[in-house]
Amino acid sequence: MKIKFLKFNRSLKLQNALALSILLFLFKLVFPFSSTIWWLVPNELLVICTFYLITVYIHEIINEKNYTPLSIVLNAGILNALIFLVLSALRPIIFSVFEDLTRENFMYSIAQTFYCFIFITALAYIFSVFTILFFLRQKKNPRFYFNTLVVFLAATSLSNSLNFLYPKLDYIQPALMVVTILLITINSIRIPWIAFLTKKEKIQLIFISVILVVLFILNISLAASGNPSNRILIEFSPSLHQFLIMMMIYGAIFFGVIFFTTLFHLPTAAVYDRKVQEASSLINLSKLITRVFDFKELADTVTDITIQVCNSNSAWLVTDSEGGLTVSAVKNIGYVEADKIITMLSENYELKKISNVKTVSFPGSKNSENPEDNNSIIKCLAIAPLKVHQKINGYLIAARKTEDQFDEDDQKSIGAFADYAALAIENSKLLEESLEKERLEKELDVAREIQNKILPDVTPDIDCLDISAVFIPAFEVGGDYYDFFRLNNNKLGFVIADVSGKGISAAFIMAEIKGIFESLSKLVNSPREVILKANDILKLSLEKKNFVTAVYGIFDFNNQKVIFSRAGHMPSLLARDGQVIQYKPGGIGLGLDHTGNFVNSLEEVEIKLKENDILVLFTDGITESKNSKLEDFGIERFERIILKNGNVNLDDLARAIMKEVTTFSQGNPQHDDITLVIFKWKFKNNNAGEI
Amino acid sequence: MADFNVQMHEDNQVSIINLQGYLDAHTAPELENIFTRLIDSKKYKVVVNFEKLNYISSAGLGVFMAYVETMRDNKGDIKFASMTPKVFNIFDLLGFPLLYEFYNDENEAVQKFSEKSQH
Repeated sequence: MKIKFLKFNRSLKLQNALALSILLFLFKLVFPFSSTIWWLVPNELLVICTFYLITVYIHEIINEKNYTPLSIVLNAGILNALIFLVLSALRPIIFSVFEDLTRENFMYSIAQTFYCFIFITALAYIFSVFTILFFLRQKKNPRFYFNTLVVFLAATSLSNSLNFLYPKLDYIQPALMVVTILLITINSIRIPWIAFLTKKEKIQLIFISVILVVLFILNISLAASGNPSNRILIEFSPSLHQFLIMMMIYGAIFFGVIFFTTLFHLPTAAVYDRKVQEASSLINLSKLITRVFDFKELADTVTDITIQVCNSNSAWLVTDSEGGLTVSAVKNIGYVEADKIITMLSENYELKKISNVKTVSFPGSKNSENPEDNNSIIKCLAIAPLKVHQKINGYLIAARKTEDQFDEDDQKSIGAFADYAALAIENSKLLEESLEKERLEKELDVAREIQNKILPDVTPDIDCLDISAVFIPAFEVGGDYYDFFRLNNNKLGFVIADVSGKGISAAFIMAEIKGIFESLSKLVNSPREVILKANDILKLSLEKKNFVTAVYGIFDFNNQKVIFSRAGHMPSLLARDGQVIQYKPGGIGLGLDHTGNFVNSLEEVEIKLKENDILVLFTDGITESKNSKLEDFGIERFERIILKNGNVNLDDLARAIMKEVTTFSQGNPQHDDITLVIFKWKFKNNNAGEI
Repeated sequence: MADFNVQMHEDNQVSIINLQGYLDAHTAPELENIFTRLIDSKKYKVVVNFEKLNYISSAGLGVFMAYVETMRDNKGDIKFASMTPKVFNIFDLLGFPLLYEFYNDENEAVQKFSEKSQH
């Protein structure tokens, strides 16, 4: 949309300029020169309008092309040369052409108009260039100064026409001219864009401006002379002739100022170039820094820029990780040599204590075995620490093969580049950490899923036995396991186990335990034997540092008893008649013992059940849950809750226990799985005697 | 969260490890490092002083299980000393007293090593 609008606008400007030109041309054909006011006023008005419209059009074209200042100057120079050519070399030809034509001749008017249009167009272009150059890179808005200048330029030019009408007023013109020249000089002093040129461009500009100044001065003298060919121009429009002179003066002054300004800028040009390069390097780096996946690329860029900006022969980047110093990017130096130098540096200097860029004269390889490459050995170094949060993650090193030390500016830029590298390393570390965390969380999810599949969905439904089970997983899967096995109509096997360790490895051991107990419970009738066999299997498969604690037992409904064995697990609690009895038969944890001690120590407990007996099995997640003072929940507190709720429904008892545990450990995260399995014996057998 | 600290000194060719604070899955590697170093320098006689240990988790117990065999195979051992009742209870439930030697006093444990080596 916008482009279309602009195009239209531009062609409209062209149309306007052409229309006015044609109008001017027609005017010239109809009304040849006369020095009356009735001719001069419309003539000058038409010329001014035509010139203005052509200028507007050219201005737009130049702006659109987006030229560099230097090429704009060159373009102005070319047109200036054209004017010079027309004024000087072509003068005899033109003169002879006009000699042949009489003034009132139709052809004369056409030739005159063409001749003058060359000047109008060239001047329009030069004027546009002056305008553009004037406003280029101006910080303050100097429009007022420029507009004043334009007004005086116009006034000076028009005063020439005034001279024709009222020759007595000829003192006005020089007065205006002096003011205009003064304004031109003032406006030419501020030329900020020169500073932004590179050193090479500045040198070119100096040469161009010298040539242009000479050309402009020559043009002034040619245009101002009483030469008959100037009469053609004067007769076309006296103002235009004056304007030509004024523009040539402007050009001479402007480019004269440019010449001197550029000359004064020249000594600092190299420094300025460097600063610009530094700034653009930093911008490039900051773009790269977000791309932490490409640390290698960033390291390459950093070493690259270091060489360019700091005028060094080679540069390399060393990262300090757990494994020591590693060279991660090199430029103009081999990995091996870079490594050798950094090793030498770390032996001779306390690199860890560097807080800022450090320069070192490096006599290191003077006694090198190849004296031939004495020219190529490194003579001085600058070392910049890669620091983030007061921690050094590595070093950026720049090296020179000449004796000149790195000066303050070099050190500052090396320091800045090192800071960027440090940031990038830190970023990539953070990213790695978050990826690692994500991986761990995924692993935990897997472990939790395994655990969920292993644990029974529901508790068995048995007439004479109420069963309630609660399992609360910890954030890190703790490896708790419980299960029930229907052995036959009269017997129910049960197991509760706690695998040492956490996470996915604990979950896998759990799965193994489930397999072991499920199969053993069907093969072996005695709980003690089941535990013994389970230990035999597990001591072969478990890692040395892993073990499993378990209680395995069997409810015998017919004989109203429960038999169980314990392998290093928490005691089992029996609540009966307002008392809690702890059962802790002998037994070592599964996988702990590789001698005969396991068999010898393993015991079996048999309890004759009474109505409303409550048997509680649990893992240490309950008794070891901690409050904010890091006190344990403990077994006594646990027993008190069981007694207090002994008469309520079994599920309510389980809920009451969990509520107490949760309240107790509020504000302290749960570290271990919590498992609670409760049985209540409901069988009322009148025949059964006392235990 | 919880602090853990290990210190080691030597007495009569026996390495004495003093534990302090909470020994769990997060702090166990620190103790593991000490045992690896002991085995590297061929010091197989170890007494662990539990006087200032507040808590030990299954991962903490695993450290002793992982290294005791190597010590015993090389005529050494890991002996436990000065345990608080609370920590001892954890060891006791698991049946450790059947597998390891427990002493009330560090010196007593050190003494036991020299008695054995004299025979």
